[in-house]
Amino acid sequence: MNDTAVNRQNPALCVDGVCKRFRTTKALDEVSFIVPEASLTVVLGSAGAGKTTMLRLIAGLDKPDAGRIELAGSNVAGWEPKDRNVAMIFDNLALYPDKTGFGNIASPLVIRGESREVVEERVGEMARTLQITHIMQRLPKTMSGGERQRVALGRALIRTPSLFLLDEPLSSLDAKLRIDLRAELRRMQRDHGYTFLLATPDFHEAMAIADTIVMLREGRVVQIDTPQTMYDQPADREVAEFIGAPRINLVAASHEPATASLCFARARVDFPAHLGRLSEALPTQFELGIRPEHLRLADPDSAPVRAELVDVESLGPRSVLTVRNEAAELRLLVDSLDTVSLSLNSPVGVELAHAHRLLAFDPATGRRIGHGL
Amino acid sequence: MNKPKLELVSLCKEYDNGSVIAVEDIDLRVEAGETVALLGSSGCGKSTTLNMIVGLESPTSGDIQIDGKSVVSVPPGRRNVGLVFQDYAVFTSMTVRKNLAFGLEVRGKYVLEINRAVEEVAELLGMSDKLEARARDLGGSELQRVAIGRTLVTKPSILLLDEPLSNLETSARLAMRRELRRLQSEIGLTIIYVTHDQVEALSLADRIAVMNAGRILQVEKASTICAMPGHTFVAGFLGSPPMNLIRGKFEARGGEVFFRRGDFSLALGAGATVPEGYFTLGMRAESIRLASGADARFTGRVSLLEPRGSEAVLTVDVGRETLKVVVPPHARLAVGEVVGLAVDRESLHFFDGDNNRATSLELAGRIF
Repeated sequence: MNDTAVNRQNPALCVDGVCKRFRTTKALDEVSFIVPEASLTVVLGSAGAGKTTMLRLIAGLDKPDAGRIELAGSNVAGWEPKDRNVAMIFDNLALYPDKTGFGNIASPLVIRGESREVVEERVGEMARTLQITHIMQRLPKTMSGGERQRVALGRALIRTPSLFLLDEPLSSLDAKLRIDLRAELRRMQRDHGYTFLLATPDFHEAMAIADTIVMLREGRVVQIDTPQTMYDQPADREVAEFIGAPRINLVAASHEPATASLCFARARVDFPAHLGRLSEALPTQFELGIRPEHLRLADPDSAPVRAELVDVESLGPRSVLTVRNEAAELRLLVDSLDTVSLSLNSPVGVELAHAHRLLAFDPATGRRIGHGL
Repeated sequence: MNKPKLELVSLCKEYDNGSVIAVEDIDLRVEAGETVALLGSSGCGKSTTLNMIVGLESPTSGDIQIDGKSVVSVPPGRRNVGLVFQDYAVFTSMTVRKNLAFGLEVRGKYVLEINRAVEEVAELLGMSDKLEARARDLGGSELQRVAIGRTLVTKPSILLLDEPLSNLETSARLAMRRELRRLQSEIGLTIIYVTHDQVEALSLADRIAVMNAGRILQVEKASTICAMPGHTFVAGFLGSPPMNLIRGKFEARGGEVFFRRGDFSLALGAGATVPEGYFTLGMRAESIRLASGADARFTGRVSLLEPRGSEAVLTVDVGRETLKVVVPPHARLAVGEVVGLAVDRESLHFFDGDNNRATSLELAGRIF
């Protein structure tokens, strides 16, 4: 058996049935997931979902009430944080105020007694990656918030622990830098074979960089999947709404078996085959999920959905249209060039572009009908 | 001709006796009823510009005119401009009504007048039923509405918004963006909007002024600025991902014209003469597509794959160049894979190598 095979059997991190309670609130409830070595796993959830609590338990800063945490195959219950060989990067960053950017990033290497040449080469490389070569000789108090964040990232990434825990590492950066840096993080992770567990409330970020997303809601794992699968086959209505912008359309719909039609928003179309295959699980009345890019404009006289245009929001090359009729309000993602001839409060026609991507949700529980089948 | 609502004339702001130039020679005309976004990264001078319009800072040189009159020597309270910050600055212990009335009360207005103005604004913001609620019980987007409402009751002639949505969660932000668009169209307010977020600028503004290092590089309609960037900085800032930019030279070889940088070479058609010197080639990530066989204009190796749900963004290393390419969501590709790419000549942009401005060129028998 070679090394890789051993590593596959022992993931870098295994979380099994972990619970954590703070007085009366359940912060984490039976959370289980694994992080394979040299992968990037994202814990995704809104504020209060339990992301930071999870990371703190793994780092050893808090103790779980129940369940097991294994790092590289060893149960780490009772281990001190320093013995766990993990590096945790928070969004609130504490730098040494009396050290320069260089001194801050170099400190973990200096403590380990690396030679001056090694320190200079590795810190220099890190500074170039994070685009902070110009602040290497400056003290933290003269840096902007974003610059301090990048120095903190550099200091954490210069180490080589078996697992990096990153808690919203990019949250205080402005939009453009965040997008550049997340690509850099991903590239570093892949090039060096690092193992990352990153927590974020931003689904764009999660989609862009994750191998696997662990979706956390109110302390529970709701779904574990690759980004595209989570987008295409969300476990429930809330995941569907959380992932994707503009937000998915959710409208009341019904199945008319006699005519094999799907009725929604005063439209009647052929019943999509993939929903038809759910026949027994699918009630006659359900909630239909339509991604905005799966709708398109059509001739108002013949389109299945006729509605009034109530809002146009430009996103640059594409625009989001909001249309409304007596039965529903729908958002469409269209090419901005197609919106030039439209005027607000005028009638528009809408048709389905990718009927095989429609989703059906149980109106009572919110679960996607057919999930896990 | 009508006077513009607001005009900035050669506006400059220096600190430390000129050693730091925060705003350098800005000219901007804003018409009544228009919404203009000042867009740029932190430190580009956009907030300094806003502070000078409000009167919180005074310009080193240049002029600020409102309705054709210079306001540089007018104190902030008399300029009749309303500023809303990203931190709401709402009195949380007061009711919504009290908060809305505050600005008029300190101006010593009559109670009847205040009540009428407050109720009008509350109606406009859809908060008539929340007037007696305490501000601390409100959510983020409602607080932001109160903050905007407090400014609106004083009937400012210009509303200035400094990153007003950046503290809101995504869903509240979307709702607020829609709300602001509605307000704009209903009351025809003149709005100057400062943001680092291009989506906010694109979705709210009529025109966008892109700022970098204290200067305005381009002012253009929001609907066309992405398609017609006038400067390499604007091209590299707008769009998600932004336009691919490659600095190189033209070359004529064997009766054909190429754009070349190192081992990256793009054929542009038949021709014998080319302009001298450096240029920057711009290619939108949406204009490049996957291609195979003879259709492929160049090949590269996928170094990053970022799914977005409705599409995916590939990073492809072509020689030493790195290109971003938008592909359909279910293209089965893996990191490390070699792919062929094609781009339509009609979609290419060129920028002058010296001043980085967009330039139109006659090359290989066509105009680029």
